Amino acid sequence: MLSLEHSFEENVLTTKVDWLINWARLSSIWPMTFGLACCAIEMMAVGAAHHDIDRFGAGAFRASPRQADLMIVAGTVNFKMAERVKRLYDQMPSPKYVIAMGACATGGGPYYKYGYTVVKGVDRVIPVDVYIAGCPPRPEALLEGLMKLQEKIRASSVIRKPARLA
Amino acid sequence: MDFRGIYDRLVAIHAPGLVKADEPRKADPKDKKDKGRAGDPFVLVEAQELARFLESCRDDDRLHFEQLIDLTATDPAKDAPDFWIGVQLLSLKFRHRLAVKALLPKSAPSLPSTVPVYRASQWHERECAEMFGITFVGHPDPRHVLLPDDWIGYPMRKDYEFPKEYHGISCE
Repeated sequence: MLSLEHSFEENVLTTKVDWLINWARLSSIWPMTFGLACCAIEMMAVGAAHHDIDRFGAGAFRASPRQADLMIVAGTVNFKMAERVKRLYDQMPSPKYVIAMGACATGGGPYYKYGYTVVKGVDRVIPVDVYIAGCPPRPEALLEGLMKLQEKIRASSVIRKPARLA
Repeated sequence: MDFRGIYDRLVAIHAPGLVKADEPRKADPKDKKDKGRAGDPFVLVEAQELARFLESCRDDDRLHFEQLIDLTATDPAKDAPDFWIGVQLLSLKFRHRLAVKALLPKSAPSLPSTVPVYRASQWHERECAEMFGITFVGHPDPRHVLLPDDWIGYPMRKDYEFPKEYHGISCE
């Protein structure tokens, strides 16, 4: 006859809901397969064996925005592309995160003054969580940015706080 | 064939619109102000005759320029009266090249399209059209090639003014 006595200690973990959900989210940030310029080459290097973004659970580059959690804006955003970037961002399911990789995506970069079609920072089109400096950033810098994003997710909360009485 | 040979041949076949040959030269040591001219030799032609000129370059047995490498335009200065049109030709058969230039007045930037002669020039002409506002009369597909369709102004002109915003995105 089966007994449930003393079987919970080995099979049940107790934790906080926030901790569990944040852990699940930050350990599998799936980026979108999406590169705009030379920064994308560095992003590909991060995805390859030497730097290996898979160590952080973010190696599953999805071919569709519907399956992606993270948009790495890797490169120069021009006006023609900005509308497409906005549309792709809108197609991603929440919660969604954006990394502006490199000088161009952060603030126009070398095209700031004379780039007549370059958007001076992708944050004029979509909200950005993490900015990465560099032109292009080294692969380690992108991993650093990813870890910063993980810290940000770790600090977030899914529980709706009760309204404070005035 | 070297440049001299090509030019003599162009004169001999009465290539339409041919104006002159322009070759690089060293500076005159006696004249301190003379700096000479660097760069490649080119032939200057009339812009309105450019297409017919290219046709004679292509069809002549001794020249045989079967490939158009590039067609582009230049705005040399804000107060300059003309655009420069530059064409690079290559003969695969005889392995010689030719640079062709033409002056096009900014007041009437229009010339016949060269697409009937070289189909390779389609995108080049579209780019010249959107960047400089040059009209290529008779172009089969005169849309923008790089810029958005509703772009205002011609960015490669020296007197171009940058837009303040585009589709609600600030450009400041």
